[in-house]
Amino acid sequence: MSAPLLEVRDLKMHFPVKSGFFSRAKARNFAVDGVNLTINPGETLGLVGESGCGKSTLGRCISRLYEPTAGEILFKGANLAGMRHRQLLPYRQNIQMIFQDPMESLNARHTVGEILEEPFLIHGIGNAQTRRQAVSKLLDTVGLPGRSASRYPFEFSGGQRQRIGIARAIALKPELIICDEPVSALDVSIQSQILNLLMDLQKEFNLAYLFIAHDLAVVKHISDRVAIMYLGKIVEQASSDDMYHRPFHPYTQSLISAIPIPDPHHTATRILLKGDVPSPISPPSGCAFHTRCPKAQASCQHDAPILKTLAPEHIAACHFAAAP
Amino acid sequence: MFNFNPQTQKKLARFRKIKLGYYSFIVLSVMLALLAIAELLVNSRALVVQYEGTLYFPTYTDFHPGTDFGLDYAYETNYRDLAAQFDKTASSNWVIMPLVPYNAYENDATDSIMRPEAPNAARQHYLGTDTTSRDILARLVYGTRTALLFAFAFMVSVYLIGIMIGCAMGYFGGLFDLGFQRIIEIWSNIPFLYMVIIVFSVIPAEASIPARITLLLLVMVLFSWTSMTYYMRTETYKEKSRDYVAAARIIGASTQRIIFTHILPNVLSTLVTFMPFTIVSAIAAITALDFLGFGLPVPTPSLGELLKQGTANLRTAPWIVTAAFGTLVLILSLVTFIGEAIRESFDPKQFTLYR
Repeated sequence: MSAPLLEVRDLKMHFPVKSGFFSRAKARNFAVDGVNLTINPGETLGLVGESGCGKSTLGRCISRLYEPTAGEILFKGANLAGMRHRQLLPYRQNIQMIFQDPMESLNARHTVGEILEEPFLIHGIGNAQTRRQAVSKLLDTVGLPGRSASRYPFEFSGGQRQRIGIARAIALKPELIICDEPVSALDVSIQSQILNLLMDLQKEFNLAYLFIAHDLAVVKHISDRVAIMYLGKIVEQASSDDMYHRPFHPYTQSLISAIPIPDPHHTATRILLKGDVPSPISPPSGCAFHTRCPKAQASCQHDAPILKTLAPEHIAACHFAAAP
Repeated sequence: MFNFNPQTQKKLARFRKIKLGYYSFIVLSVMLALLAIAELLVNSRALVVQYEGTLYFPTYTDFHPGTDFGLDYAYETNYRDLAAQFDKTASSNWVIMPLVPYNAYENDATDSIMRPEAPNAARQHYLGTDTTSRDILARLVYGTRTALLFAFAFMVSVYLIGIMIGCAMGYFGGLFDLGFQRIIEIWSNIPFLYMVIIVFSVIPAEASIPARITLLLLVMVLFSWTSMTYYMRTETYKEKSRDYVAAARIIGASTQRIIFTHILPNVLSTLVTFMPFTIVSAIAAITALDFLGFGLPVPTPSLGELLKQGTANLRTAPWIVTAAFGTLVLILSLVTFIGEAIRESFDPKQFTLYR
């Protein structure tokens, strides 16, 4: 196999929790707590988890919106963690991001043309004329009419806005795009259009995606491999097919049992989890999932499981991992 | 013409629909235009003088000594007397005077006794004269102009400082924010009026009037910029955490670019709604200072100074206080109505009782 495009090693992102003005950080929010993952060129890695499990934080660390507390982010061998703005600038062209809410991620005071021109301006690519051509080519690529350039984001529908967001992300011909729940805010019918666009673009430009979502059906559709996250840690990782047919971790099993099946005769055997996700400020001892796990034993409270290879290309972190 | 963002166009259209504010805006605009050319309307210098076949336009030029027009003195020509003399001698020379042929400084006392005189259309003192026989209308016009200019300069300075510091506090946060918040808290507790009194007691007497006005402006700005930083700080803080800023950063935008092309344009639109009210408070403040005698230096015409005279001579010369008070109410109401309309038209909630 070729060298990985992105390799994340033991990445940690701890946010200090402050109270009062002069007090030091009293506690830390273990948003991302020791994550390892790799993404190969042209591949899609789906990242799934409940809200608050740290998947967006992980994406924002890799795109270097956040400065990670510890760990390495190796992009083609270069460690992005700890880089300053100037050092980072050349890598910005290679790692881009698509956001959940396109209305939030597009500046309402700029026209679509200005929004799409900005990447070229910042990286000093081309002159005014070639930039304009590049913008209309981008609009064409994502399936928007050329006259959109002179209009403002709020004049578009949600799906069209997300297309603008995608156009901005692919403007600099990146190799990796972090998709932070790109379709969660859209209607189901629009979701499939955007997913198809993303997959078409992947073929055309050989893009790699880190596809963050909480919708397992969507992730299954688009991903080559899937990683499941719980409370800042990856609990299971496998190829997409393997994950959906043979989940080992009880958390993954319960998530997959929750996928609605469009068949009125299907009798649901859902594995319901008790309670809420524990706070990442004081994660449970031992296995973070033991508070809600249907298979938890006494030992889970103090022994933290490590990721074990349970099948080819399939790893899970559970003492009692077993295929259902 | 201007190519406005369609959102801005909508706001402008809504502003036009709020009649009170819109008409106030038109009236104030006309007033500002008239004040800008006040020298042509209210002035002791003639508009045009025709003397011995030559046309003179003395309004904006250097002064013409009386000898220029065949008079026997070398100081500045008194054009009212010149006009009277030309009429008397029935020569072909003539003078066109402005509507109000007085400036704000000259004493036009009958019988050389300085005392307030009631409005007198025949002598063209349409609002009467003040205690030193100066034309009230002239003093009102020039006083209003000074006050508006002063308020505008005040607003621009306060906003510049407030925006810069507030934006930096909100954007950089952390220790910088913390430190500046404490400085602002301490600074805003220094009593402004005492500072003005102290500063004015130590200004050397020989300081020129423009220097004194600038100093007053400086002192007022120095003690007013803090209020603006609160809005800017929170607004910047809010905008900074939105995804479009994150998107800009991922593209590689520098801090400078993020602040100036992304955050500021989004924040400033809300500040527009504060501007008229800042103007109102600045006019009120400068009038109050003038009234107390710590404002614009004498003999600069000002509303506050006229109010002071008026209240001192409330029984004997009620026209002074009436004119000054009326002008003040008119200006402040107009600006407030405009401010209300702007706030209304920028309000995202469409429903309104204020039309």
